Amino acid sequence: MDKKIFVFLGLLGISIFLLIVDISFSNSALAPPYKILLLLLVVFFDVLAFSSRFYTYIMMPLITQRKRHVVLNNEDAYWLSGSSDAILHKENDEFTATVYVKIPLYRSGTEMTREEKLEFTKQVSRLVGTSKEPARFTSLLYVMNKDLYIQNLRDTISSAEHRESELIAGNAPQNELERVRGQLNMWHNMLDNVGAATSLELMIYASVSAKGVKEYEAISAAQQRARELISGTASIFGVAPSIVTGDAILKFVEPEFLIPYSTISEQIARNVREQVI
Amino acid sequence: MDEEAIIYLTFAAIVYVLIIANVGSFGGGIYTYIALILAFIGIGLTLVINFADFVLFPAITGLFGITFQPYPNYKITKGQEAIVKNVNGLYYATGFITANLFSFVFKAERVQENEDEKQVSATESWERALMSINFPFKFHVISSGLDVQRVRDDLDGKRAYQEFQLSRSMQNTNINESVIAEIQRKISVIQARIDRISQDEKPIATLMYVETTAVGVSEKAALDALSAQIKQLQIALSSLDVQLLRIVGRELYTLFKFNFGLPTTYEEAATNFDRQT
Repeated sequence: MDKKIFVFLGLLGISIFLLIVDISFSNSALAPPYKILLLLLVVFFDVLAFSSRFYTYIMMPLITQRKRHVVLNNEDAYWLSGSSDAILHKENDEFTATVYVKIPLYRSGTEMTREEKLEFTKQVSRLVGTSKEPARFTSLLYVMNKDLYIQNLRDTISSAEHRESELIAGNAPQNELERVRGQLNMWHNMLDNVGAATSLELMIYASVSAKGVKEYEAISAAQQRARELISGTASIFGVAPSIVTGDAILKFVEPEFLIPYSTISEQIARNVREQVI
Repeated sequence: MDEEAIIYLTFAAIVYVLIIANVGSFGGGIYTYIALILAFIGIGLTLVINFADFVLFPAITGLFGITFQPYPNYKITKGQEAIVKNVNGLYYATGFITANLFSFVFKAERVQENEDEKQVSATESWERALMSINFPFKFHVISSGLDVQRVRDDLDGKRAYQEFQLSRSMQNTNINESVIAEIQRKISVIQARIDRISQDEKPIATLMYVETTAVGVSEKAALDALSAQIKQLQIALSSLDVQLLRIVGRELYTLFKFNFGLPTTYEEAATNFDRQT
């Protein structure tokens, strides 16, 4: 039986017990103001019992920790499976494995005829109905990772600045110095432009989960579901979906992978410069 | 209201019935009235928790400044409207919006007269919406197949009931024409759904929501940016004819947990979402 049922019955039992006590005592044995106080507790426990339907997960931590910052879970939310093709999550001694499937669908409505658009929406409807078990289909818009490109630009700029200082120290000809300064200016402009706007990418993926009492049990069941989803999707759209593996999964789970750190720090730095200067 | 809610309400109501039935045993006089007031406050609170806990819960946590840590490095804000992650001094705030959380095909209450046109324009509306968004977001559709026979039986039952209502209305000479037209429309909607099942279309249940992440140099900056993004999404996606409400409270926690493990059965998914729809 579900844990929340026990919590509900327990709290309701306390409420009814207190009520019986309250009613059983005569006015001479328990003064009316105390009876009202006891009644207040009865109502409190009854409301708490009903709330347990939704809030069992916070009740115990809230009572035991008695802090404003309540820790619901101190364990990591997930970890990558040994085969790197699923993430695992543990709750109540049960493992949930989730497998992600990338659907390479690169069609745009702007290049479709009316009939093709109608057919496409029907295909999407069929895709959504592919799986008998719950499956999640996601359209993800995320910030393109320009970290490497930005890092290369920064390296180039620092080497150009180094070259400039060398030329100044060595009393190099003016035209050579101007040429390096021109290059430096160009790289700076390029860095400003790259950081100025976010470039976005769109990706479509599906995810399926399966539970198991052992890790491998959950993983193999989730992989089985993913394979069914892949074959269904492939037959509908004629594309080759693939299971996402390794670090690429993090994009679907962690928020910072949606907005790469240096891309965004470059933008923030630029915004601060604009505000200050 | 689902069966579980009815069971919880019935058990919780036992206490109030007992209080009202024994209202004289709390001291008499003014204490009787106080006991009655307490009972009605309890009934009121229970109903608010049942129908609008997404208002009450954030109000309580906001008032007492209670925040939650669902997993290490994550924090649910006191307003219960966002989950914040701190990565190297940058704050990533994630929020959710219902994308109607409606049932995509079979629970829709009306059949669109110009369904083809709507489907054709859907791709364009979606692409227009995407083009106006310059921050990361995910549009999730969780779908689950339903038992064909069960859905068919439900629809047959609904059709029989509507036909009974129609025949009763026809016999009544004072009945308004519009009432008969409304019943006939309902019958045709149910019949259309039965026909779709007969044509081998699989009944499915879906849950749709949008997730977006904003970044900032402080928690407040990230939350402000998130609010702005959510407003922008609500405007951009409004052309898709979906109800876009910001998700707060326990449903935020549930949707957040979906990132690490999806529900594996339809019942599991459905029991989490019976409000805010």
